[in-house]
Order: sequence, then C-alpha cells, then structure tokens
Amino acid sequence: MEQFFNVTGELLVGFSQNCEIFALTLLMAIPLGLIISMGSMSKFMPLKAVVKTFVWIIRGTPLMLQLFVVFYIPSLVWGISFNRMTAAIIAFVINYAAYFSEIFRGGIESIPRGQYEAGQVLGMSKSQIFFKVVLMQVVKRITAPMSNEIITLVKDTSLARVIMVPEMLKAAERFTMQGLIWPLFYTGVFFLLFSGILTLLFGFIEKKLDYYKI
Amino acid sequence: MSFLQVENIKKSFGKTEVLKNISFSLEKGEVLAIIGSSGSGKTTLLRCLNFLETPQEGRIIVNGNVLFDGNDESKRSESAIRKNRLHFGLVFQNFNLFPQYKVIENLTLAPTLKAKEQIRKNGSYKGLSSMKQANQLITEEAEMLLKKVGLYEKRDFYPCNLSGGQQQRVAIARALALEPDILCFDEPTSALDPELTGEVLNVIRGLKSSDSTMIVVTHEIGFAHDVADKIIFMDDGYIEEEGTPQQVIDNPNSERTKEFLARFNQFGD
Ligand SMILES: Nc1ncnc2c1ncn2[C@@H]1O[C@H](COP(=O)(O)OP(=O)(O)O)[C@@H](O)[C@H]1O
Ligand SMILES: [Mg+2]
Repeated sequence: MEQFFNVTGELLVGFSQNCEIFALTLLMAIPLGLIISMGSMSKFMPLKAVVKTFVWIIRGTPLMLQLFVVFYIPSLVWGISFNRMTAAIIAFVINYAAYFSEIFRGGIESIPRGQYEAGQVLGMSKSQIFFKVVLMQVVKRITAPMSNEIITLVKDTSLARVIMVPEMLKAAERFTMQGLIWPLFYTGVFFLLFSGILTLLFGFIEKKLDYYKI
Repeated sequence: MSFLQVENIKKSFGKTEVLKNISFSLEKGEVLAIIGSSGSGKTTLLRCLNFLETPQEGRIIVNGNVLFDGNDESKRSESAIRKNRLHFGLVFQNFNLFPQYKVIENLTLAPTLKAKEQIRKNGSYKGLSSMKQANQLITEEAEMLLKKVGLYEKRDFYPCNLSGGQQQRVAIARALALEPDILCFDEPTSALDPELTGEVLNVIRGLKSSDSTMIVVTHEIGFAHDVADKIIFMDDGYIEEEGTPQQVIDNPNSERTKEFLARFNQFGD
C-alpha cells in the first residue's frame, strides 16, 4: 500500500509535466494556428506557398523527430541550447499550430459565400462580418475536429520523454528498471481520466452550440 | 432625371462578357421586373447594383448622386462602396440569414453596428446620441418590420426553425431595416416549394402599396404582370425589350421575347 502511494506520487510529479506541456501548447498553438491559417488562405501567392510548405513539412514528419530537431539542432549549429522543457514546448506548439491551422482553414472556408455577401450588402465592414457573422459559425464547425486534436495532444505529451523531459511515462520507466512493471500500465488511468474530463467538456460545449443549425 | 439611372453598364468575367451594355431608368415608387432565361445576366446586374461585382464600365446614379462611375477610381474604394451600397438592398435567392442569430437579431445586427459607428464618428444616429436610445429605436423599427411581413410572433425563433417562406420574409425585413432607396430581389421565390411562394409574393405586393422602389428578378410572369410598372426582358447580356407589362408580356415585339414567353405559357399560366 505504501508502495502504491509512493508510485502514485512519483507519477503525479511526472504528470504535472504532461499537464504543463498540454496547457502551454494549447495556449500558444491556437493563436499561432489562426495566424498560419490566415497565411494559407492569403491571396499573396509567395506567402501562401511558404505557409503551405511549412504545414506540409510539419504534418509530414513525426512529432518525435521534430522534438529531436528542436532540442539538438540549435546547439549543434549555433551552440545555443534550450532547456528540455522549453524545447519540448516549442516543438509541440509548432506541430499543433500546423494541425490547428488546417482545421481553422477548413472551418473558415466552409462558411458559404452568401454569409459574407449578406453582411456586405447590409453595409458591414470586413472585420464586422468576420467577428459578428462568420466567427461563431466557424467555432461551431470546428468543435468536433478540435476536440479530437486536443485529446490527441493529451496523449502526445508523453513523447517529450524522448528528449528526457521527466514526464509521467518517463517516471514509470524508472520503476520498470527497478523491476516494477505495473506503474507503466497504471499511467493509463491518468490519461484516461484527463481525456474523459475533456470529452465531457467538449460534449458540453457542443450542446451549448446546439441551439442553432448551420 | 429619373430616381435611378443605370447607364451603359458592362461587366465581363475574364473573357466572358456577361453584361454587354445595360441602360435603364426607374422612377421613385416604381417596381421594375426583370425577366429572362437563365444565364442572361440578371443576377450579375443586381450584384453590380449592390456593389458585389464591379462593372468595367458605366454609371449608376441614384437621386442625382453618382454612386458608381467606371471612369472614376475614387468610387471604387472600400469606404466609398460601403457608403454607397446602402442606397440599395438585396434579397437573395437562398435568403442567407445569419443562422446563429434570432429573427429579431438578424434585423437589428447591421443597424446596430451602423449606429455604433455613427455615434462614434458624428456623435449621433438619427438624432440620438446614446447607444441605449439607438438600440431602443432600432428594436422598435425591427419589430414593426416583422409585423409588416407577418412574423412578429417568430421574433425570438432561430432561422433553422422557420419554413423557407418565413425565412425569405425575414430576409426581406432585414433588408428593409436599413431603409434602402431601392430594394432588389433575386428570384426570391425560386428556392421555395410552390405552396410557399404565395406568402413571399404577397409581402412584395404589400411593399408596392407602401411606395417602395423595387427591382425584382423573377420567373413568376403572372406576378410580374400584376405588380410591375415596368418590365425588362434580358437576353444574353442585353436588354432585348422593355416597356409596360402590357407591352412586353401581352404584346411583345421581339421574337426572342415571344419565344421566352411561349415556353412559360406552355405550362398553362
Ligand atoms: N463570378 C463569375 N465568374 C465567371 N462567370 C460568371 C460569374 N458569375 C456569373 N457568371 C456567368 O455570367 C452569366 C450570367 O450569369 P447570371 O448573371 O447568374 O445569369 P442569370 O441570373 O440571368 O441566370 C452566366 O453565363 C454565368 O456563368
Ligand atoms: Mg440568377
């Protein structure tokens, strides 16, 4: 029993790292994703091409590789090094911003042209149309794909162990090396609880937005 | 000079000339019906009047104000367009109501934004200096318009809970809320089930008796005959024939007009 509390305590310390990566990634990847989506919808072709290429590279390579790149390349090339946590967060933010940007782009482009035109003929400005007419409809359309991505993020945070961030799975692995296997499987409980709470939260948001149909 | 003067409008998309040389005029309080087969440029003409498309050439003059002049670049700026387009209103074929807003909010949204801007810039909106007063006036006017289109009891409904005919009546009220000089309708009943067209046409008839100036693109020839003071038959980007309903519908001169009308009469109008 004492061992159980001991393990739980250690794992929770690790899990706080997962939570930190999760929260900071969400906080920064959403605005960055919005900016990237604007770039990928730009009418200025060079910008659009650069942004599309960027999104392709980020989505086309493993997050694990991106973690290595952010952690090792700056120190190899410029001799500067990030601490492990900072490197992990940079990699996660860039990776998730790329995915989010595609969701935002899809959401924005799915709004019928008639909505913009109705706003225009009623004398509304471009920003009024975006904020008062389009935005809420986009939010409604992207809740489901965003909740998917965000739940994936919960689990992805454990990848940070590849650059030695002491997150929960890393902590469990330490027990394994001492011959204690069950803590490894026990970590699943924490992930399940976290994603369960998120599922409930997103369900609630979807219900909230259910008062109208698009 | 007429209330509305449209002079030599030309509009192409790339190499496709869609409006080849359109000129007509309309007096205040008159109703103009535009008929013609699909692809003849009717929608494009209404979109040009509402500044959703920019013609390559021509002039649009309302009440003596030149709103658009193909030779005057300053008329093409974003801010000039925003100011000038409010002389016109447009009711779309498929309504384009804002789904996330209640019926009443669909009507008040644009006027509220306009009032905010005017109070910020000039200190007043329709003589009112506070947003609170302005909001009250805007809501009262919106409620009156809902009564006018017979939908006051749907005030707090969302568009998705209304029938197509009701949605289109809300869209008409929404356009009227900005008090356009000229209200345009682009086939307002062609997205509706046949049994719902009557209620929308009746609302438009009602507007005629309250002296609104209107341009209605329609395939309802009987309705056009009853309501319009003037009919334009468009064909392939030109005005093929224009005149009173008696002239254009009952005694057309042009062969093309006759052909077009014959196709409608086949269905035993
Ligand atoms: N944005 C556009 N780009 C290219 N062609 C267009 C565009 N809008 C309309 N057209 C063309 O212009 C012609 C007239 O269209 P439209 O004004 O919609 O006719 P109508 O409303 O009389 O059916 C059609 O041949 C259509 O294909
Ligand atoms: Mg049309």
